[in-house]
Amino acid sequence: MSREELAPLTLACAKCGTCRTVCTLYPERKAEISVARGKVALVDAAISGLDGNAEALQEALSDCLLCGRCERACPNQVRVEEIIMKGRADLAEEMGIPAWKQVVFGRVMPSAAAKNAARTAAASAQKLFLRKVPTGSGLHYRFPEKFGWEGRTVPALPGTSFLGSLAHGEAVRGEVILFVGCVFDHVFPQVGRAAYETLRRSGKKISVFRDAACCGLPALVSGDKASALRCVEENIGRLSAASPERIVFPCGSCLLMFRRNVLSFLPKGHPLYGQAVRVADLCEDYASFLLETGVVSRLPDPPKGEKAGRIGYHDPCHLSGTLGKGGEGREVLRRAVGDSFAEMKGADLCCGYGGTFNIRDYPTSARIGQNKVSVAAEGGTAVIATACSGCILQMRDMAARTDPSLRVVHLAELVFQAISHR
Amino acid sequence: MDGQPLSALRDLFGERLFTSREQRICYSYDATGTMSLPDAVAFPVSAEEVRRTVLLANEHRFPVIPRGAGSGFSGGSVPVQGGLVLSLERMDRILSIDTENLVAVVEPGVVTETLKEEARKRGLFYPPDPASLKFCTIGGNIAECSGGMCAVKYGVTRDYVMGLEAVLGTGELIRTGVTTVKGVVGYDLTRLLVGSEGTLGIVTKAILKLIPFPETAATILAFFRSNHDGSSAVAGIIRERITPCAMELMDRTAIDCVREEADLPVPDDAGCALLIEVDGPRESVSTEADRVEQACRQYGAIEVGRAGDAKGRERLWTLRRSISPALRKVNPVKINEDIVVPRSRLPEMMAFLADVASRRNLKIVNFGHAGDGNVHVNVMISGTDEEERRRADEAVSEIFGKTVALGGTISGEHGIGISKAPFLEMEVGPLGVSVMKRLKGCFDPNGILNPGKIFMEEQMAQR
Ligand SMILES: Cc1cc2nc3c(=O)[nH]c(=O)nc-3n(C[C@H](O)[C@H](O)[C@H](O)COP(=O)(O)OP(=O)(O)OC[C@H]3O[C@@H](n4cnc5c(N)ncnc54)[C@H](O)[C@@H]3O)c2cc1C
Ligand code: SF4
Ligand code: SF4
Repeated sequence: MSREELAPLTLACAKCGTCRTVCTLYPERKAEISVARGKVALVDAAISGLDGNAEALQEALSDCLLCGRCERACPNQVRVEEIIMKGRADLAEEMGIPAWKQVVFGRVMPSAAAKNAARTAAASAQKLFLRKVPTGSGLHYRFPEKFGWEGRTVPALPGTSFLGSLAHGEAVRGEVILFVGCVFDHVFPQVGRAAYETLRRSGKKISVFRDAACCGLPALVSGDKASALRCVEENIGRLSAASPERIVFPCGSCLLMFRRNVLSFLPKGHPLYGQAVRVADLCEDYASFLLETGVVSRLPDPPKGEKAGRIGYHDPCHLSGTLGKGGEGREVLRRAVGDSFAEMKGADLCCGYGGTFNIRDYPTSARIGQNKVSVAAEGGTAVIATACSGCILQMRDMAARTDPSLRVVHLAELVFQAISHR
Repeated sequence: MDGQPLSALRDLFGERLFTSREQRICYSYDATGTMSLPDAVAFPVSAEEVRRTVLLANEHRFPVIPRGAGSGFSGGSVPVQGGLVLSLERMDRILSIDTENLVAVVEPGVVTETLKEEARKRGLFYPPDPASLKFCTIGGNIAECSGGMCAVKYGVTRDYVMGLEAVLGTGELIRTGVTTVKGVVGYDLTRLLVGSEGTLGIVTKAILKLIPFPETAATILAFFRSNHDGSSAVAGIIRERITPCAMELMDRTAIDCVREEADLPVPDDAGCALLIEVDGPRESVSTEADRVEQACRQYGAIEVGRAGDAKGRERLWTLRRSISPALRKVNPVKINEDIVVPRSRLPEMMAFLADVASRRNLKIVNFGHAGDGNVHVNVMISGTDEEERRRADEAVSEIFGKTVALGGTISGEHGIGISKAPFLEMEVGPLGVSVMKRLKGCFDPNGILNPGKIFMEEQMAQR
C-alpha cells in the first residue's frame, strides 16, 4: 500500500471509538472490524508491514457501505471514506481485479454504446428467466431461490433509455447540463425524463450530457482505479469543454463522485486535475437547482389536506450526509406535495445499498434495507421520495420483497407530477 | 497460546472466537492508541461462558483481558502480554428496570447512553456521564469507576453500583452487594471490584441504582480575565452552598482552541471560562441560577450568559464540547492526564500548570470538571521530536508530584492501566501497593486476569 499517501490520513485517528456509535454495519456484525476505527487500524497495519495478507485485508475493507456516517461523527475529521477507497484500490492493484469487474467497470461503464447494449440484453434475459412482481413503483422481477439471493428482485428494464427517447436534436445545446447518470438513464428512464422536464421550467436552456460514461463511483469503490479513471477522463474533458453554467445531478452519488471523490483520487499532477476542480465547482444537486432558479416557487399551490403526511423524504447518505443537502430536498418536496409531506421515521437511516456491498453481501444489505423501509412504513409513510439512484434501487427491491404497495420515487417524479396535473 | 487451548476455546465459542490476524489487530488497542496483539478474541454471551473461559485459562495459563468498547484512556483493555481478549460487547441486554425500587439490572456490554435513555423514558436518571457515554460500556465504567461532568453533584459510577455478579480469576462466580438501599454484611466487595480495571474479576451483571430525573436545569457561561478569578468563583459558588450538576473550567489555552469555531461571542480578554449547570425543582433552579450569576460577577466575570431552554443550553455547551476535537490544532499528539486536587487548591494548581508550560516550553491545554477539582491536563506535542517528548514526560512527573503534594490524586477517572503504573507507588506508598498485590493474589492467584496492568512488572515479580 502507498505509505506516503495513507499514513498521514490514518495518523489522524485517535482511536477514540466515537465511530462505533453510528456505523451502519456495527449492529449487524457486533465486532470492531466493521467500524472505521478497526478499518483504519488495518490500513495502518498494512502500510507498516504488520499485516501482509492482501486478500484478508481486502475482504475486511470491502465489508463497509461507505455510508460516511463514521466520518461525519468523527471528532478528529478522519477521512475514513478516502482511507477505505484508497486502501481497496491499492490492495486491488496488488492482487489484480477479478475478470468480471474488469469487463463491467473497464469496458461497459465507460462506454455509452456498451451500456445500451448491456441493458437490452439484460432486459430480454429478465423476461425469459425471472418471475414478475408488480409493485407500487413499477414492475419488478424476482430471482429464483436457486440463485441463493434470498428473494432479490430487480426492476423491469425498459426497452429504451431516457436518452434514447429524446427526439432528434432535443436537449443538445444549453447553458445548463443535466447529468442523468446510468440508472436514471437506463433503468428508470422516467426519472431522467422527469428531471429533464422539470429543469426546463427554470427558463434556462437544458442540454443532456450524451454519450456519458458512468460517473466512475462503482469502479472506484470496488478498488478499480484504472476503470474509474477511464470514466472520469471520458467525462471531465467533455464537460469542461462544454463550459456550462451549471451541471445538475438527479443522483447524489454521481454528484459526490464529481464534487469530492474525483479530486481525492486524481493525482495532483494529472493533466485533467485543473479541469476537474473547475467542473466540481459547477456541479449541483437537483433540489438546490430547483430552489435557486425558482422552479418550485412557481409551482401551483399544492392541494390542501390531501392525506396528510403520506409522503416522506429519505436522506441519501452521500447527498444529505456528506454533501449536507438534506434541507433542499425536503423544501422541494414540501412545495411539490404540500401537506402530504411529513418527516419520515428513520429518514436518515442508511438504506443498506452501499453500491457493490449489495452484491457482495446481499443478505446483510437486505436486512439493513428491510429495516429502513419497515420503520418508515410503521411511521405511516406510503411514498418514499429521495434523490439517489442506489437508494431507489435498494428501497424498491425492499418494497417489492415485502410491501409492494410502498412506493419509492425520485423527487423529480413528484415535481413533474405537480407541474403536469395542476 | 498454542493449539490446545485454542481448540478448547473453539469448542466453547464456535464462530464467536476470532483468530485471524485482521480480527486480532482490531482488538489490539484502546483510546490511548497503544497496541499489542492478542492471540485470540472471544465474544461470550453468558456468565457461564465467561466462567468456563477463565477455568480454561487457569488450566492452560493464558491471560484473559476483559474489554468493553475499548474507549479506555489508560490502556486497560490492551493485551500487553497477549492472550485472549474477552469482548463483552455482545452481552448487551438491559435485564430489568424496576421503577418501584429504582433499580436497573444490566449486562456489562450495555452502552452507557442506552441505559441512561431507557431510564429517562421512565422518568428515571442514571447520572454517571463520562464524555464517552455514547459508546463506552457499563462494564468498562465499573472497571474504571468512570465519572463525568455531573460527578460534582451526583458522584461517579461507584455511587450507583449496588451489587455485582462477577467471575473471579479463579473461575468462581461471585455475587456481591445488595438490591436494597442499605446493606453492611461483611467486607464491601462491590466497591473493591469497582475500579479494579478487570484485574480482580470480570463483571457479568450489574445491579445499578437509579434516581428520579431532575425536573429542570439552567446553564450559565461566564468569562473571566484570569484563571485566578475563575477558580475563585468556583470556590465562591461552593461556599454559597450551591451544588451545580456541572462546573466546567476552561483556561486560556482551551478557549483559544475554540475561539473561532464557537458560534457564540468570546470576549477578547477572556482568560478563563466557567460553564455551570444547576438542576432540580423549577423554583430552586431559578434562584440558584441567580445566585451563581451573582457569584460569578462578584469574582470579576467580564461576561455572563444564561439559558434555561434545551436549545440555548446546548449552544452554551458547544464551547466546552468543541475543545477535545479542536486540540489537534495545537499539536497532533496528546498526552492526556486527569489529575484531581481538593477544590480549594484549584487556583494554585492552575497557576502551577501555566508555570510548567512556560518553564518547559510546552503547549499544555487545561480544562475539566472544576467542581470536583478534576483537571484534564493535555500536553500537546508534535510526536516527532524526541527532545520535546522527554520534556513532556518530565512535565507530567512534575505535575503528578505537585498533585500528590496538594493532597490530590493522579487519576480522577481514567484509571492506572499501563499509562500510570509507574506512578502508582508515588501516590499510595509501598504499603498500599503491597496490600493491593496481596488482594490481587487472593482474587486471581494465577495472575490470569489482565496481567501487566496497574502494577509495574517488577512489582508483580516481587510478589
Ligand atoms: C472521547 C473520550 C472521552 C472520555 N471521557 C471520559 C470521562 O469523561 N470520564 C471518564 O471517566 N472516562 C472517560 N473516558 C475514558 C473511557 O471512556 C472510560 O474509562 C470507560 O469507562 C471505558 O469503557 P469501555 O467500555 O470502553 O472499556 P474498555 O476501554 O474496553 O476497558 C476499560 C477497562 O475495563 C475493563 N473491563 C471492561 N469491561 C469489563 C468487565 N465487564 N468486567 C471487568 N473489567 C472490564 C478492561 O479490562 C479495562 O481495564 C473517555 C474516553 C474517550 C475516548
Ligand atoms: S471517530 Fe475518528 S478518531 Fe475516533 S476512532 Fe473513529 S475514525 Fe478514529
Ligand atoms: S462508512 Fe458506514 S459502514 Fe463503513 S465504517 Fe463508516 S459508518 Fe461503518
